[in-house]
Amino acid sequence: MMTLAQLGSDVSWMAIAPELVLALGAALVLLIDVQFKPKTGGSLAWTTGFVLAAAFGFALAQWLRLADIPISERFPFGRMVIVDGTGLLARFVLLVVTGLAVATGWRLFERLGRRRAEALALILLSAAGFQLMAVSVHLVMMFMGLEVGSIALYVLAGITRERADSDEAAMKYFLLGSVASAVFIYGVALTFAGTGSLNILEQNQFLTQNILLAPGVLLVGLALCIIGLTFKVSAAPFHAWAPDVYQGAPAGLVGYMAAAAKVGAFIALWRLVDLGFPTMRASWAPVVAGIAALSMVVGAVLAAVQSDVRRMLAYSGVAHAGFILTGLLSGIDGIRGVWFYLAVYTLQLVGAFGVVAAVTGASTSRSAISDFAGLGRRQPVLAVVFSTLLLGMAGLPLTSGFIAKFGVFQDAWQAGFEWLVIVAVLASVIAFFFYLRVIVTMFMEEPSGDDHASVGVVARWVLALVAIVTVVLGILPAPLLELAGDAVAR
Amino acid sequence: MIETILFFVLAATSLAGAITVIAARNPVHSAMGLLGTLFSLAVIYVVNLAHLVAAVQVIVYAGAVMTLFLFVIMLIGVDKAEERDETLPYQRQLVIGLAVITCGLAIALATGSGFRWTPAAPAAAQAPNGTIENVAEPLFGEWLLAFEATALLLTIAAAGAIALAYFRRGAPEEVAE
Repeated sequence: MMTLAQLGSDVSWMAIAPELVLALGAALVLLIDVQFKPKTGGSLAWTTGFVLAAAFGFALAQWLRLADIPISERFPFGRMVIVDGTGLLARFVLLVVTGLAVATGWRLFERLGRRRAEALALILLSAAGFQLMAVSVHLVMMFMGLEVGSIALYVLAGITRERADSDEAAMKYFLLGSVASAVFIYGVALTFAGTGSLNILEQNQFLTQNILLAPGVLLVGLALCIIGLTFKVSAAPFHAWAPDVYQGAPAGLVGYMAAAAKVGAFIALWRLVDLGFPTMRASWAPVVAGIAALSMVVGAVLAAVQSDVRRMLAYSGVAHAGFILTGLLSGIDGIRGVWFYLAVYTLQLVGAFGVVAAVTGASTSRSAISDFAGLGRRQPVLAVVFSTLLLGMAGLPLTSGFIAKFGVFQDAWQAGFEWLVIVAVLASVIAFFFYLRVIVTMFMEEPSGDDHASVGVVARWVLALVAIVTVVLGILPAPLLELAGDAVAR
Repeated sequence: MIETILFFVLAATSLAGAITVIAARNPVHSAMGLLGTLFSLAVIYVVNLAHLVAAVQVIVYAGAVMTLFLFVIMLIGVDKAEERDETLPYQRQLVIGLAVITCGLAIALATGSGFRWTPAAPAAAQAPNGTIENVAEPLFGEWLLAFEATALLLTIAAAGAIALAYFRRGAPEEVAE
């Protein structure tokens, strides 16, 4: 019989302090709204900022004393979560992305009126969910994190529900996302049936100690898990929801929705395949490589024919999911490249959608490329920022996107996936075309119709900062690369 | 052997119920199909010796959740053109007759010589399957964090429901910028 003291022995609140802060912060935002009924969002903005900063502080404190944490304290809560550099880096990226999204999409929150408290709380909770997902080494915990993060995103997609297309986006995201979650949890059940454990590390231990003569159930389970997670990162052929959702959801939130889900799901996928099933590499590597190749080709080709900037960004996101998956193929060592790519790409994504929100309105759906015509003359700062971010996504040398792509391609090449790297390079070339098309529209075409573009002071500075970071990391990638390498080493 | 047979029968009924949920035209029939699925799953749990989970399944899902579903369906309004005539002849008489026979059998069993109320098993040192301790220990020990994470889900559900359903007026207007 377990006593209470034993039950509490591996409860480590410090290990999940950032998530606790976010959850409490969400409650605080809701309570402030109920109690004081603020007319403007100022107090809520400050609260949200403070909560994010506090969560970041806790993550940073843990990072600084990470080397001193003994191995016995690395797996608190009955080995459900892990205290490691990768998990902390996931928190850093997610918290920064959340802060950027709130800052650049603030005009949406102003428009939401009394609903802004709920929207902010949902953003904080979904960040907490994806953080839990990224630190979990237990498949059920991973699923819980996935659900907490995703369900909040479903609501956020439909938060401007008076618009039919926002409703449609939310409904589509909810239904398809639920199916993907069901597929994932069914896969989890089958891996449990195959290994007798739900813990990723114990599954790995089981597989290194035993040779399975008929691993059919396990293979099906692993395949279903991979499908569930690649759905969340919108990799082809599980990407069909992404363009509709990105187009229908309010512009101020799309960047966050895309970026947060990608960070959580990619790190979970890495933990699953590279920590849990490295012994079955020969089975899953071709599948992941196939998904990666398909994503890159489908994403790049379909992005090139879109006339809506958001659909274009959605399909380019499919291609980027493929690029990141190539990094996962090189095993534990690949995580450094994956990290650099994820950090850089999510920043660019949030920044790019921030610009879209500024140009076509923060709560609108649809943003035709023609709306961007002549932006270079109307809003030179925005146009330059957007061009920088798009070139970064395209992977132009001297931007961070180039270093990121180079890193994952190099890893994949060394892991023996030369054909995949060739496909990836070809896809990158196609990608250049559609990114350039938007830039050409912005600078070469005459403005059509009225000037809708407007951007707040904070958002302007934040967007400029993201663009500057994109260039600086392209010229001096060493600090972030070291950080990512550090995360793996720890 | 009996488990295998039970599994296939129950799997078939739960699938049939699930198909009814999506195929039935009348929402009440869908709800009943769901009920069938939930009950079949409950029996599968019993077969797997998870008695408490089975009881929870019946009480929470088949009981509370289904009642809520039916409430919502009734409030929204069932299809008005629904057939009110009883298509099966003599079904009332049949049901009453069956009920009388069932009650008679029960009384005969209870009063008959061969039946006695015996306490199940003497209190054993080992707690039997599915007692409160056996559920609580893993729930608040090994599974504590996952359990706590459901609190986040409930908060999201509450905040999301309010954000989506409560503020109908005062909607965000995309003013012409």
